Amino acid sequence: MQEDRNAIDPGEVELCRLMTGYLDGQLDAFDGLYAALAPRLRSYLLAQCRDASLADDLVQDTFLQLHRSRRTYQPGRPVTPWAFAIARHSFLMYLRRTRRRLRFEDTLASELTSRDVARDDVRALADRDEVQRALVQLPADQREALLMHHVQGWSFAEIATQLGIRVNAAKTRAFRGMRKLKGQFRA
Amino acid sequence: MTTPERLRSLVARDIKPARPLRSPVVRALAIGPLAMATVVIVPLVTFFRSDMADLGLLRGWGLSFVESLAGIVVVGLALRESIPGRALSRGLLLAAFIIGLALPFAIMALTATPFSTGPAEFAWTDTVVCLRTSFAAAIPLMLLATLLVARALPLRPGVAGALYGLGCGLVADAGLRLYCEFTVPSHFLTAHAGAVVVALGAGAVIGSVIQRS
Repeated sequence: MQEDRNAIDPGEVELCRLMTGYLDGQLDAFDGLYAALAPRLRSYLLAQCRDASLADDLVQDTFLQLHRSRRTYQPGRPVTPWAFAIARHSFLMYLRRTRRRLRFEDTLASELTSRDVARDDVRALADRDEVQRALVQLPADQREALLMHHVQGWSFAEIATQLGIRVNAAKTRAFRGMRKLKGQFRA
Repeated sequence: MTTPERLRSLVARDIKPARPLRSPVVRALAIGPLAMATVVIVPLVTFFRSDMADLGLLRGWGLSFVESLAGIVVVGLALRESIPGRALSRGLLLAAFIIGLALPFAIMALTATPFSTGPAEFAWTDTVVCLRTSFAAAIPLMLLATLLVARALPLRPGVAGALYGLGCGLVADAGLRLYCEFTVPSHFLTAHAGAVVVALGAGAVIGSVIQRS
């Protein structure tokens, strides 16, 4: 089973090696982990918050949390799902701490509407609010998959890897999210 | 991408060899002795139910052993839930809660043929005694489980708390059923099943509070 997983993603073997070194107290291994994971984590966090500087801060928060919780890594298991779960945790903590969920959704909604056809200002504003409200009402996991796929353009395989879920689960979440979104606009 | 200097210096200041936590299975087994003690201590401190001889070894101690084992498994699931990247799927969570909550009923159904032992009318005093005994028995186990979960990083602390609360409630109920012989539904639902639900709720609250702090 472990060999199968490694065969699919050879980079994971190197990450496991780095993680082992990091647990042994090697700072170089931490640097290696940062180099390997930070761009992917940043991309993931950027997809969530749509703010480049905030994504950079969240990457640092994630690595600090990862450092504090390094004992929770189980040797031999893939590093990526563990790191992404911590990144997700950092992001959710950020949301709770600052209570800026609405603002975050507003930013995302703006992104969505900015890709739409030109409308007059009043109509565009109404649409933006509508999208914002519709997105807020989606379950968090469905919203996440929907935005990653339809806004960020990630493949379902990539989403599955990033979130540590099965490809079918990623598809289902995005599909259900889109169906609910459409349903809300039809209502 | 190179490590930012500030982050690197923070990590460098604190870096030292760290021993990974043992697997959830091994850590769940660590609560085994305390769980067994919890089962035994309730009837030992109070008294055994009067129909222990009629129940026999299998339906008496055997079913309590099964219930406490199920409780340990549920605590193990809570420990797994508290490892980042190993969160339980919705299906598994649902199954754990349904089976966990149904188990006391199933065991009651296996041991009581007439469901009429106990006060004919609902008696608060009996309910309070059983609730109090069950909850008191669960406290040491809850403390240990809280400690074990808090040492990891539960990303859904309320869920992890509810799971270990359920597990501890089951272990306590395994002891309680060796002490209380009442089988009337009103008593069983409020005192025995109620105690398991209270433990579940207490775990969820404790988990959430720990996370917030």
